[in-house]
Order: sequence, then structure tokens, then C-alpha cells
Amino acid sequence: MSGRGSRITDEEINELVSKLQSLLPESRRRNTGRVSASKLLKETCSYIKSLHREVDDLSDRLSGLMVTMDSNSPQAEIIRSLLRS
Amino acid sequence: MLSRTHFIYISACVAAFSPSCLLSFSVAAMQVTEAFKHAFLKQMLLGFQASAVSTNSMGIQERKNAIKLSADVAMAVFRGSRKWTRGLIAGLSEKQQNRSFLQLILGEQYERRLMKPCYSSWKIPRCRTIVRRSLRVCCRRQKKKKNQSGVLARTLVEKRTQQLKRLVPGGESMDGLSLLDETLDYVLSLRAQVDLMQSLLTTVESSKLRSHSKRTLTERKASYVGK
Repeated sequence: MSGRGSRITDEEINELVSKLQSLLPESRRRNTGRVSASKLLKETCSYIKSLHREVDDLSDRLSGLMVTMDSNSPQAEIIRSLLRS
Repeated sequence: MLSRTHFIYISACVAAFSPSCLLSFSVAAMQVTEAFKHAFLKQMLLGFQASAVSTNSMGIQERKNAIKLSADVAMAVFRGSRKWTRGLIAGLSEKQQNRSFLQLILGEQYERRLMKPCYSSWKIPRCRTIVRRSLRVCCRRQKKKKNQSGVLARTLVEKRTQQLKRLVPGGESMDGLSLLDETLDYVLSLRAQVDLMQSLLTTVESSKLRSHSKRTLTERKASYVGK
């Protein structure tokens, strides 16, 4: 991280690890403090993959609904009006 | 010129996406801010304009790719300059068909983003110790730690770190703390992207239903009048 001092504390690493852990969907079930590095990484990887799949699925569904990508289509108008609001 | 049908359609959509709606989804989606929503929608619109050739010539797969591309670019542009956003744009640029689209959307920012040097390679010697230390922090959290499994655990961690590097854009050149930091940021942005696309989908779906039901109501009324 440019701009910071050369000493990165254990605390900062701790904080990043906790933040990451709290983002993961199963974190509420688990007793915090018991996570292992490999488990954290594995769950992060699978979470990112599932988010990618969701984006892909949503793109599919949106493309089904937005029949034309024309600037004059109703859908484009929706977006323009949302921008104006 | 907007026809009457269009007008009803649009005002229904605006109503659906009203402040009360925003409030409920901003509570659920912690990272979706008004600014992000605007930037995202703007990018989507630009995406439409940039990719539309003619109304009929775009197949469903092409449309899907265009939508996904617009969404990814919107996410990266809004977040600004981070290692993963540069990595994302660079990754998208690798495909020939994306380049003109990216050029159109990003304008002169495009060249600048690609050319910005990545300083992370200078940090690798220090970052290796950080990786080791973060492993120790994680290991300390385990109540039972057997010595034999230590070596296995370390190899597993290395393998999984490699997987993570492949998933986070630009991850290959990141190490230690910066990988963790970028991952955090990337996950938050992905969640915001998903939430926004979901709400856009809901808006379009509900407006279609509304306009359809309005149409059938009009038809029914017309048939009564005729009797």
C-alpha cells in the first residue's frame, strides 16, 4: 500500500481478515475466531464464483427482457428516466 | 416523440423505482449508493448506444454480452482507480471485440487506465512476510494445531491463494496484504453490482406486467363499450 509506513501491524492484517470473513455468507453461523486460512480462502473463492454466476444469470434475464438495445427502445427510456430522477 | 403508451410505461417505472423502493433496497444492499446507481445506469445507457447496430441484428447472446460488459465497466469505472479495476479493464481489453466498445465508453481515460504502472511488483519481498504473518494470525485462531498438518495446511493455503488470484482481476500481480485488500473491495463492488442489476430487472419486469395489464384492461373496456 503506497503512502503507508513500512510497518504493517498484525492488527491491520487481523482487521482485513475479519472484514473478509464477515462478508462471507456463512460467517454468522460460525463461531468467529475458529477460521483457518485455507477455509477463509476457499469460502472467499466460492463466494466470488457464486457472485459471478449471479451477474451472468441476471445478464441473461435482462437480455431476454430488453428485446432491443436500440436507443429508442422503451427500456432505454426507462434508464434515461431513472437517471433524471 | 413519446406516445401515450410510452408515457404511462415510463411514469410507472419511475414510480416503482421511487425513494421508498430505494430505501428498502439500500438497507439490504449496504454498498449501493445513489451515486453508484446513477453512474451504473449511465454506463448501461452508453453501453446500449455503443453496442447497438440495428434493432434486429443483435442475437440474444450478443445482447447478454453487451449487458454484462456494460455492467462490468460501470462497476470498474465507478470504483475508480484500484488494482482490480485496472486488472478488469485490462482483462476485458484482451478480447478484440471489446476494445472499440471500451474506447467508446472510457474515451481518453482508456489509454490512461491501461498504461498506469503497477507498483505491486516492488513489494513482493516484503509481501511474502506479510503472507506468512497473516497465515500465522489465521493459524493462531485455531485452538488445536498439529505440527504434521502444518505443512499440508500451508500447501493448501498456497493453492487456494492461487485460486483467489485467478478470480480477482489483476490478482496475479498482487501479493499479501494488497490481495486481501483488493479482494475485500472487489467483493463489495460485486455485491453492489448484483443488487443494482436485480433491481433494474425487477423494474423492467414489473413495468412490462403493468403495461400488459393496462392494455388488456383497455381492450376489455373497449369490448364493453361495443356491446
